[in-house]
Amino acid sequence: MSHREHIEELLDAIGRSELNAFITVDYEGARRQAEEADAGELDGRLAGIAVAIKDAISTKGLRTTCASKMLEHYVPPYDAFVVKKLREEGAVIIGKTNMDEFSMGTSTETSFIGPCKNPWDLERVPGGSSGGSAAAVAAHEADLALGSDTGGSIRCPASFCGVVGLKPTYGRVSRNGLVSYGNSMEQIGPIARTVETCAALFEVIAGYDPWDSTSRDAPVPHYVSRLADEITGLEVGVPQDFFGEGVDPVVENATWEAIAVLESLGVHAKETSMPNLKYALSAYYIQAMSEASSNLARYSGIIYGTRVQKDHDWHTTFSENRASGFGKEVKRRILLGTYALSAGYYDKYYLKARKARALISRDFQRAFKQFDALIAPTMPFTAFKIGEKTEDPLSLYKVDINTVPINLANVPSLSIPCGRKGHLPIGMQIIGDQFNEQLLFNIGFQFEQNTNNKHAV
Amino acid sequence: MITKTDVEQIARLACIKLHEEDMQAFTIQFNAILEYFEELEAIEAELTEQEERNVLRADEVTPSLTQEDALANAPRVESGYFRGPRIL
Repeated sequence: MSHREHIEELLDAIGRSELNAFITVDYEGARRQAEEADAGELDGRLAGIAVAIKDAISTKGLRTTCASKMLEHYVPPYDAFVVKKLREEGAVIIGKTNMDEFSMGTSTETSFIGPCKNPWDLERVPGGSSGGSAAAVAAHEADLALGSDTGGSIRCPASFCGVVGLKPTYGRVSRNGLVSYGNSMEQIGPIARTVETCAALFEVIAGYDPWDSTSRDAPVPHYVSRLADEITGLEVGVPQDFFGEGVDPVVENATWEAIAVLESLGVHAKETSMPNLKYALSAYYIQAMSEASSNLARYSGIIYGTRVQKDHDWHTTFSENRASGFGKEVKRRILLGTYALSAGYYDKYYLKARKARALISRDFQRAFKQFDALIAPTMPFTAFKIGEKTEDPLSLYKVDINTVPINLANVPSLSIPCGRKGHLPIGMQIIGDQFNEQLLFNIGFQFEQNTNNKHAV
Repeated sequence: MITKTDVEQIARLACIKLHEEDMQAFTIQFNAILEYFEELEAIEAELTEQEERNVLRADEVTPSLTQEDALANAPRVESGYFRGPRIL
């Protein structure tokens, strides 16, 4: 099959789809890039491969909305660092995927174009916030996808949609061109149907970028060539704190069965505890909301974005523009972040959250002195129904209990399918020390080779 | 406990005009969320050295956006400038 035929099949699938996984499909651009690949004008490690990009990542000349009415008509004048890397390797940018507005959510329900659906069950959420990316990969509407993960936004939808997703070490992938939400925690990362293709995409997007002041100047290993490295003799910790109240027993069992598979491959597993994880949810939300209140201050409808008012004073104009451009969850987080940073409350909320983050990081540092990796359920349960948690924001925040500690500690975590509850996929996360993504791929690859979890619909 | 007046004040600080019904819902929701956050009051840790370090690039002049590109997404433009709301 030619690249053009392959892309045409994917565009057909997107056209027929009920998932609402894409906000913008670049029919013309994708066809042109596929033809260039067929003509041998594009070469590289991803030549002719269709990559779907979360709509929070800037694509030059291709609308980037962040699933917000605020950016409904925004066309970036530059490519994000990761998109430049994809183009250099010949990838076909097939379109921009649906997400929670400004990446704030766990269900891809708050998008201005409406919710994305789970390919395994159209009445359920695909997870979020990178729900469109995971759904598109699971349903063969794209070969690979990029998401971003501030508190679980790659791993949650990977888990709910039965695909592989990596939240990289903070600083491993440039955030240049990623629309900021919680900038001290977020990373762009790959979503794929197999560990091998996930590693291949990661190898392309990782690396130093002088245009991200938190990017780390460290060499990028050849993850794929060392994918099949031995895992025998590795020490793996299983922190009981990830199996707390609210974790579905079926998910818990699937995780333990997966650990048994790894033990049969020569891995030593041992229970452990990380006592400060109990503070993770509060620490994450306070910090993310505080950062959001600052990062989203730029949307005033003057330089770009929705503008509704014409001849009022600046405060009224900004306030009306922001009222009209932002959805409810975005407003909630900006307001709570503004409150947490305001005079008299900074010590009570933001400073306490910073301290909790330090304690949680130290828990991880201690764990990685004893263990090579940690294993835990990615999500406490399988995909929930659309609309089930929209009325009570706190109940939706609590869904992130197992994913947020990883972002607070700046460490990498790979979510892979490890079983099923009925027809719905279950995911487990393999967590490693900073810059140890290779080991996560090795464990994930061996698990995948020795089990039979179907990755796609 | 925060009141509707508090929410109104925060919204003013954040430059977001709120409708009456949102203000009421947010007041209830914010109290529930802030009450949950109070679990952090027990924490008595010292912050040691900063975890994240900013690394600055060399201060070299490189091409940046053209004026045309910079203005392309602006809702209102006048004579090559962004047109903002009046200040006074």
